Amino acid sequence: MKKLNKKALRVLLVIGKYARWTVGIALALFLTWRIYQVLFVQQAFTADTWLRFALSGLILGGMYALIAIGYTLVYGIMFMINFAHGEVMMIGAFCCYFVFEALRFIPAPIAGNPDLVFLNAYPILSILIAFLVGMTVSGFSGYFLEKIAYRPLRHAPRLILLITAIGASIFLQNAAMLLFGPQRKNIVNPDILTRTAGWTIQVAGKPVLISYTGAFSLILSALLMIGLYFLVQKTKLGRSMRAVAQDQDSAALMGVDVNKVVSQTFIISGILAGASGVMWGIHMGLVNHITGSLPGIKAFTAAVLGGVGNIPGAMLGGITLGVIESMGPALFGIDFQLKDVIAFLTLIIVLIIRPSGILGEKLTEEKL
Amino acid sequence: MIKKFFVVALVLMMVLSACAAPEAKAEVPEVCGTDSFGCAVFSKEDPIKVGYAGPLAGDYAAYGQDQVNAMLLAIKDAGDILGWTIEMVAEDDGASAEGGAAVANKMVSDPLFVAIAGPAFSGDSAAAIPIFEKAGIPMMSPSATNPELTAKDSKVFNRNAFTDVDQAVAASAYLFDTAGVRKIAVLHDGGDYGQGIANGVSANFTAAGGEVVAFEAITAGEADYSAVLAAVASNSPEAIYYGGYNAEASVLVNQMKQAGLENVIFFAGDGIYGTDFLTKAGENGEGALCTTMVPPASEARIKFDEAFVAAYGVEPGTITAYTWGSYDALAVLLHVIEQVAIVSGDTLYIPRGALVDAVRNVEDFQGVAGTISCQSNGECNASGPIIYNVKDGDWVVVD
Repeated sequence: MKKLNKKALRVLLVIGKYARWTVGIALALFLTWRIYQVLFVQQAFTADTWLRFALSGLILGGMYALIAIGYTLVYGIMFMINFAHGEVMMIGAFCCYFVFEALRFIPAPIAGNPDLVFLNAYPILSILIAFLVGMTVSGFSGYFLEKIAYRPLRHAPRLILLITAIGASIFLQNAAMLLFGPQRKNIVNPDILTRTAGWTIQVAGKPVLISYTGAFSLILSALLMIGLYFLVQKTKLGRSMRAVAQDQDSAALMGVDVNKVVSQTFIISGILAGASGVMWGIHMGLVNHITGSLPGIKAFTAAVLGGVGNIPGAMLGGITLGVIESMGPALFGIDFQLKDVIAFLTLIIVLIIRPSGILGEKLTEEKL
Repeated sequence: MIKKFFVVALVLMMVLSACAAPEAKAEVPEVCGTDSFGCAVFSKEDPIKVGYAGPLAGDYAAYGQDQVNAMLLAIKDAGDILGWTIEMVAEDDGASAEGGAAVANKMVSDPLFVAIAGPAFSGDSAAAIPIFEKAGIPMMSPSATNPELTAKDSKVFNRNAFTDVDQAVAASAYLFDTAGVRKIAVLHDGGDYGQGIANGVSANFTAAGGEVVAFEAITAGEADYSAVLAAVASNSPEAIYYGGYNAEASVLVNQMKQAGLENVIFFAGDGIYGTDFLTKAGENGEGALCTTMVPPASEARIKFDEAFVAAYGVEPGTITAYTWGSYDALAVLLHVIEQVAIVSGDTLYIPRGALVDAVRNVEDFQGVAGTISCQSNGECNASGPIIYNVKDGDWVVVD
């Protein structure tokens, strides 16, 4: 019986492969034709506009990537989707808001400027404090999330963990709403990092503004991703994480403390989400209890796009998704309200051609 | 036994006739016999009941509370009507059509209920109109702006709010004539209100001879509209009109400079007016324009503002822009009630049909928000939308 099933599966896989390629090639041809139309026939946008699209996409993509890494790390270790991850990012954004608000009330008068406050007197220090607080609180949130919501269910079926994760997400969202109120709060940055300040470059005879906050977010997410890559590949903690990801039981037999590694993974993913939350706060400037939910879903999409469980895949997926979202509507010449449709359509196309994501490992018959 | 019963019955009859005797002396006014809806009859202790229906709980509760606060002031200022006290009946309809119908049914079942300054929204108003129509109860809504409402040939529905059509006309006229703009981009949030007003502006602006270079919808509730703004900027418009509410409008103005729309005029509907926009947009909101129901400073308004602050501790207009209009809506109703009410002996009669007609025929009533004169279709806002802009971090009337 089992043998027959395997045979049937193999046939299905072969058929599936050709059907996938047919659909994939047809879609690719159609999209190429559409892009050709917009770029060379209609010429709706000039180079400076394309640069603006790319910039806003890269900045958004960097934040998606950081959140997506959190999904991927946890999935790699526990084979579960931590749907409360977006809420951890929201907590980070709130930390940014509260730190900036608090520092704006600490006077730091100097000669000639008696009204100066700490936030503007020591802006770099203030931003560092915001990141430190945001990442610490979010790291702890990740730790306790695992300890309270997921650890008791470690050996339960995966579906139960998924439902718990959704429950935790709803709980955190409502807790934030009751604690801080439903209105969007305005985050006021230090003066050196106002959202409209930046470098202006001339492209196609028009000025394009690269905002400091955007550049800052992009560089910081790149640094964090590089740091994470070294952490996972070069350190002992990283090695034990990879070992647990491969096989929990064997790792335990080799002397790896699985519980500890799982906790550490949640702390790292929380820290990354916190960092992206603070960045979100600094760049976007608005936060309320639902701030995390949409980026959370998008980052999950990004993780799947890149190949869930694969860290470089999550980075690539995040950046790709961000750029597709901002350039897609212009590239295909459709309404900007449909940008999410394009993002998810891209996901579907990628999954049709490569079911395991762009960089995901191929699901072999044995794993199926 | 029978004799005893007879005596008791006789005594009772005498008592009853003695009670009825003074009422029979004062005559029931003639108009009550001829009025199409008859008269509402108030004995000395009965209060005259007027009402409000709107959201008093839930997401939009702020609207209802603000409007009721303003209306309570109107009742306080009116004092009494020919010696009869006025009672406010404020009911929560959840801003829904079902709620609007339920509240209307409850109100018309009360024989002492004569007029309603509401409902607050367009949906509940549409559901309530047929019910009040049958009972002959005049309505005066301070905030239902859907243009369709007065196109239904209703005798009882009036509003002192302007419609979204008026806003669109005023906005495109200002942009084209006053600001001298010839190329605009129109954005909206895809909602009924936002898209309706955006369509209106682009139609009017095109008709006036201008060009709408971009017409885009955005997804409400997001924190990043830089991509759509970059696309709009590539068409180099001189002004952007936005149909929607302040949450998205503040994000838009915050990102306009980054997208290369530095010296572009930002204009929106009454949905963005309020302190929320000022705090969230900060310096970037400077110069933003909107059409609003907020009246310009006048003697009546200053007096009302002082009374409102004294009573509630907040400036009117901080919660919603409908504070002044709500006061006026009830004030004009009370004024008309006083005109048509007839005192006869110890009883007050309000002929309902005459009241409905009198509200429709209001001319030159001076409210705090301007003059109220009703047209034959029930549009009573004679002042029209007033254009405000942000100057030095505050909303002020455009000169």
